[in-house]
Amino acid sequence: MTAPTTQQRVSHRVPLWRDVIVIKWVTQVFLLVVVLSAMLFLASQAGDNLRARNINTEFDFLHEPVMIQISEGIDTHPDTGARALWSAMVNTLRISGAGIIFATLLGVVVGLARLSDNWLVRRIASMWVEGFRNIPLLVQMIFFFSALTALPRVGLGSGPVNGWLHISNKGISMPRVFIADGFYQWAVVVLIGAVAAHYVRRHRQRIQDETGASTSPILWALATVALFGLVGLFVHPVFSWLGPVFGSIADLFDSLPNTAPQVLFSAVAIGVATIWIRRFLSAHRSARGHLSLSDDDWFRMIFVALASLAVVLLVVRWSGLSAWALNSSRDLSEVLETKFEVDGAARPFDAMRPDIIQKSRFPNYGKNGLTMSIGFASVFFAVVFYTSAFIGENVRGGILAVPKGQTEAAKAVGLKRGQVLRHVVLPQAIRVIMPPTGNQYLNLLKNTSLAIAVGYSDMVQVGTTVFNQTGMTLPVVAIWMLFYLSCSLTISVFVNWFNVRMRLVER
Amino acid sequence: MSDATATEPTGGHTKDLSRARDMILCEDVSKWYGDFQALDKVSATIKEQEVVVVLGPSGGGKSTWIRCINRLEIHQEGRIIVDDVELTNDLRNIEQVRSEVGMVFQQFNLFPHLKVIDNVSLAPIWVRKKPRAEAEEQAMALLERVGIPEQAHKYPGQLSGGQQQRVAIARALAMEPKIMLFDEVTSALDPEMVKEVLDIMKALALSGMTMMVVTHEMGFAKEVADRIMFMEEGQIVEVGTPTHFFENPTEDRTKLFLSQIL
Repeated sequence: MTAPTTQQRVSHRVPLWRDVIVIKWVTQVFLLVVVLSAMLFLASQAGDNLRARNINTEFDFLHEPVMIQISEGIDTHPDTGARALWSAMVNTLRISGAGIIFATLLGVVVGLARLSDNWLVRRIASMWVEGFRNIPLLVQMIFFFSALTALPRVGLGSGPVNGWLHISNKGISMPRVFIADGFYQWAVVVLIGAVAAHYVRRHRQRIQDETGASTSPILWALATVALFGLVGLFVHPVFSWLGPVFGSIADLFDSLPNTAPQVLFSAVAIGVATIWIRRFLSAHRSARGHLSLSDDDWFRMIFVALASLAVVLLVVRWSGLSAWALNSSRDLSEVLETKFEVDGAARPFDAMRPDIIQKSRFPNYGKNGLTMSIGFASVFFAVVFYTSAFIGENVRGGILAVPKGQTEAAKAVGLKRGQVLRHVVLPQAIRVIMPPTGNQYLNLLKNTSLAIAVGYSDMVQVGTTVFNQTGMTLPVVAIWMLFYLSCSLTISVFVNWFNVRMRLVER
Repeated sequence: MSDATATEPTGGHTKDLSRARDMILCEDVSKWYGDFQALDKVSATIKEQEVVVVLGPSGGGKSTWIRCINRLEIHQEGRIIVDDVELTNDLRNIEQVRSEVGMVFQQFNLFPHLKVIDNVSLAPIWVRKKPRAEAEEQAMALLERVGIPEQAHKYPGQLSGGQQQRVAIARALAMEPKIMLFDEVTSALDPEMVKEVLDIMKALALSGMTMMVVTHEMGFAKEVADRIMFMEEGQIVEVGTPTHFFENPTEDRTKLFLSQIL
């Protein structure tokens, strides 16, 4: 016998245990089974143990009354646990949202200052960064708290600008502008303005592209919105007819059977999955119609199909979800009905000056002004300053990461300094800056949970009080985890979407 | 040091530059990096439509000099006058010179986040304030001229080195410059791509562009240059026509350099 030819070796059947494709599939399925059964086992064990020790894990306590005073927010004396946690959640979101905005602004300033040509500005910026990022956040929070509580007490009729601005150991109180009864009608006018602004912007952009003249399209769009907003202040009652419209929509939701949202949700789930799979297939089809799918692609498609089936199952089995969706939609329409059916003379906005009231023995701020409590201020300044140091470093790194040749090439074709920054450096730097800055946003959100140290009623502080009063530790912890996880995932999804959109195209 | 003025035309070139006006005028230009003197009293005049090739060993100051012409480097002594505008600290002068002088770099330096056509039309739109449609039309014509119109809507990262360098030339030409500076533009290219770039430079030279070329391509220098300047240790050692330079150089340092590379 001669040695096997190449042809024979190629056509030789691969034994299963050496076939990479078989190995890949078997390990994937095996891993899936292991993970699922481990989770099932742990869940059933935990359930058995909790039942054996008589620990309640139901969420009924949320509807029972609690005795909690919340430092500030939408409801300072909530009647149920659910309301207390809801109010605390709004507080956490408020401080995180404001913190992210201000930390970003300050971080950009700090980052640019560290790259400044001015020696003094550079030194101050690096002292800022080194100082704030090297002191523990909790220490900073307590420092701000003790510094702010050392301010003078509130006195009746006191304040640097009496009746307008008050600064004391109860916080800072200033005039508050708030939305009034006519706001929703006015918002419709502004919405129409926004649509108009879109067309104005496109029109101005076209003129700029055709003639080369600088037509500032964005400025024009903003001016359009402002104009509609201004006119809307006077003409907004013309939209009061939307009230009855929402009323009939509410009636429609009321008359729909419970199966309607079930069918709708199932259709959406299956529709989305089908469209996704079809797009996926056409994206992987070559020009001549040849389909090439890797094993991972198959896993992805199977996963999507299974996920959509799981959603359908969930919707059908859990009819409470559909009822809840129907009820909420009806309630929302009813709220909008009342919001639109207001007196024609109602103003969209109103403003009030801060007031000081005599509460028991000591004077305190009333509800008229916009008040930033000491707790809020301590947490806010601490997280903003702390995070700005890190964001500043990201900004600096991002700008330094753009090769020097890019700036030189841009200068060499005659772009001015501002144009070099706007058209060449920043679009490239932002790709480097954004991913780590997204992580800083996540950190900021999670760091606000330290607010418990200075008595700001955030999610963790109120949750602790709730489980101390009700003994429902596990459900509260579950709510915490779910809340922080969904916030973090929302930020992550946004940052990832941004990264994918901004990715440089290479071969 | 030889007198830095226009010389007799060589075999292939029948340009009469004796009456052409001065486009680049350098007088005793010096520059230091710390203690290291990169340019030592460099004086030269480059006429309109003239093609000057700067040769010399690495670290001899060729790139520093060419980068001083559009002030990517700042000279510390002497005067540089480009098309009757002197390069000083006056930002307006610097911007005017830069918009009239095109430059092509060794590392291409294309903008990776912009499509090829946007790379080319960016400066005309924002510096010359041209309508976008017109700028894009001009960009397409230039891409046609450098032979890659089909790549217009790709990103630089999707192109080969030679193609990228051709886009860089089109980008510089889009500003309709009076002078083109080439700083070792073929040094980062694979050998088979060098020719496609050099061919475009030759065509550009024939069209009458004033060019200053730093290169190691001796063939290009022989064929295209009106004058060759040899630089070493920050000084212009010898200036002459290609015939003079390659066949009977006068300076010993030039002879040594030629013996090492030829």
